[in-house]
Amino acid sequence: MRQAIRALGWANAIFWIILLLFAITVVYSAVQIQPRFGEPSVTNSNGAFVVSLPLSIYNGGFYDINRFNITTQISDNRGSAINRSSTLVPVLPKGENTTIEHRMTLSIKQAATSNLSYLLFNDSELNVEAIVKLVYANAFPIEISSNFTTSWGAPFANLTLGNIVLISSTRVSMPVSFENHSFLGMNGTLRLEIVDSTNNAVGGTSVAFDAPPETRFERSIEVTVSGSPAQIREARLYFETPFLEYGPVVFSLV
Amino acid sequence: MAPWCFLLFENESGKSSARKLLPRIAKAAIKGIIYFALFYILPTFVVSQLSEFAPQLFSQYEQTVAVFAVILIFFVVASELTSGTIYQHALNIGRALILIIFFVYALNGGIVKFDIDIAGSQRVSIVADLRIFLLMLIAIDLLGLAKSVLQAVNFLSEKADKQVLMPRPAENP
Repeated sequence: MRQAIRALGWANAIFWIILLLFAITVVYSAVQIQPRFGEPSVTNSNGAFVVSLPLSIYNGGFYDINRFNITTQISDNRGSAINRSSTLVPVLPKGENTTIEHRMTLSIKQAATSNLSYLLFNDSELNVEAIVKLVYANAFPIEISSNFTTSWGAPFANLTLGNIVLISSTRVSMPVSFENHSFLGMNGTLRLEIVDSTNNAVGGTSVAFDAPPETRFERSIEVTVSGSPAQIREARLYFETPFLEYGPVVFSLV
Repeated sequence: MAPWCFLLFENESGKSSARKLLPRIAKAAIKGIIYFALFYILPTFVVSQLSEFAPQLFSQYEQTVAVFAVILIFFVVASELTSGTIYQHALNIGRALILIIFFVYALNGGIVKFDIDIAGSQRVSIVADLRIFLLMLIAIDLLGLAKSVLQAVNFLSEKADKQVLMPRPAENP
């Protein structure tokens, strides 16, 4: 029995030393990890804002980082999800520098076709939730998460249709204006449709528009109407751009 | 001398017990000081150094280090004072069990959560799954527990052997 006790004593001491060394090297290695965030860039790709976040990680420790996964979820201030992007890097080897580019896509087309259409016309705050998951030293799953807000600039902010100005008995003019608060240049065709009290289209026209970022578009649109201008009930605006078709935006003229 | 001291030395006179107890007290004190340096001063220094690097991360562990040191020092001193008796082994078993409970409590069952404020306003939450580490700690502690149980069994069996081998006083006819 004495030998068994002695063996257990030795095993106990050796395992404690190994565990202690492992714990010390893990903490030391974790301190040696140096993440560097690059300058985020915003590009336009088929009507979507693509936000690229370059991230460089120098793993100066003794252990690999496995299953490094960045997930970002963007939602509006009502909680509706706009985008969820994930970037997975299987291994960040020890002693090496790894560069990752995490991309988040904000599609205006998606915004126009869902319950997020208000984002086309209203500036807002977007909530961004970033989650980093990784397995350190093949033993410790770690999750790091953070929330922050970012401002959203509407591409057709403060869209206004002014009062009808009668030019003649069959011709009217209407001033249209909006501000492009987004990073994206908005250009395309603006279609105006005039509807009378019987819900029939009595006139319409299309005009080209070009609104670079942070500019105001303002134009008076002349329309020829069939019938009496007094019967006009509402005006409908349709936006057609290379990456977005949205409408109608209805303005009551009664 | 306190009466409990005589429990440590069965079948011995008070004077003889005191003579044997003094070296034990000295040994326990030395061990206590060594353990204090190794398990309190050194870890506290390391934690305070790490706290400078990430105060919100490591400063909460100063109290944990202190409690760990108190448990270890108490048991090592008590074990040394009761060495050569069954109480020593009982204390070693108790230490192993208490350390298991302490590790589970200190590591929050293996899932450690904490929040860090970056640049004053940005809050970052970190969740570390240390269950494998906790499992390793408990496994090693169970090894220590097994050793203490075997030591207790060995102590009792040796004591029983001695009693069997000791000549009984002759009975008067």
